[in-house]
Amino acid sequence: MTEREILLKKISTYQFAALDIQLFLDTHPRDTKMVEKMREYLKAAEPLIAEYEKKYGPLKKSMTDTNRWRWIKGPWPWETEEDY
Amino acid sequence: MFVYEKKLQYPVNIKQTNPKLAKIIITQYGGPDGELGASLRYLSQRFTMPLPELKGTLTDIGTEELGHLEMIGAIVYQLTKNLSEEEIKKAGFEDYFVDHTTGIYPQGASGAPFTAAYLQSKGDAITDLHENLAAEQKARTTYDNILRFCDDYDVRDAIRFLREREVVHYQRFGESLRLLTDKLDEKNFYAFNPEFDKKCFRNQIKKK
Repeated sequence: MTEREILLKKISTYQFAALDIQLFLDTHPRDTKMVEKMREYLKAAEPLIAEYEKKYGPLKKSMTDTNRWRWIKGPWPWETEEDY
Repeated sequence: MFVYEKKLQYPVNIKQTNPKLAKIIITQYGGPDGELGASLRYLSQRFTMPLPELKGTLTDIGTEELGHLEMIGAIVYQLTKNLSEEEIKKAGFEDYFVDHTTGIYPQGASGAPFTAAYLQSKGDAITDLHENLAAEQKARTTYDNILRFCDDYDVRDAIRFLREREVVHYQRFGESLRLLTDKLDEKNFYAFNPEFDKKCFRNQIKKK
């Protein structure tokens, strides 16, 4: 794994934990403890996402970047560094 | 609406191409129990679902299935990258190749193209939730069958993640069905359509 992939995996791990809790909350909407837990995971992902987007370009288009349209820069999710 | 996030839900990083395996795994892209059918099924059913919990569950699982569709596409793409004509012949990949080269096309393992006949949106919450429970199990069985023919660690890792999600989704649909029946007349859950025959609710859902 490249450094980029390692960082992305860390982000994905927190985001996945949050997503799985969100799905749980759909059928257990009154479980405030789990809402708390989900926020914790999303918060933990925040600085990692900021680091990733700064180094490798945006994960979402909402990211306001400088003057270059870095959105189209590869590798795309189905690719690896080897493709470039 | 939908917003794209430029990452996979779970990483796919395959080092060894294997077109023969790709031809099996494509079935979860556009086959009878694949991720495309799953996503369309849930995202279509949700419009007429009663109860906020059910609308939320269908929206979120339907959206996650789109992410799984992308993962399967990535697996097939990486398994068929930079193939030589020799490798295509050796793997028996010619039949897919003549129609699609190495493009990703929604079809089953037998080559049958995707069809909306693989899914139902019945406008009956009990009927639809039972379909969804069955669909999650059918997908889980398909992933188990794929794992029987797959010994590459990188592929197994991603497939096992997807298999596990089927189990979780089954659990959530089970809870959804319970949440719904809890609100119905317990003398007979299954003789009415709770989306149409509103009288079958114990305390009729109040319209705002």
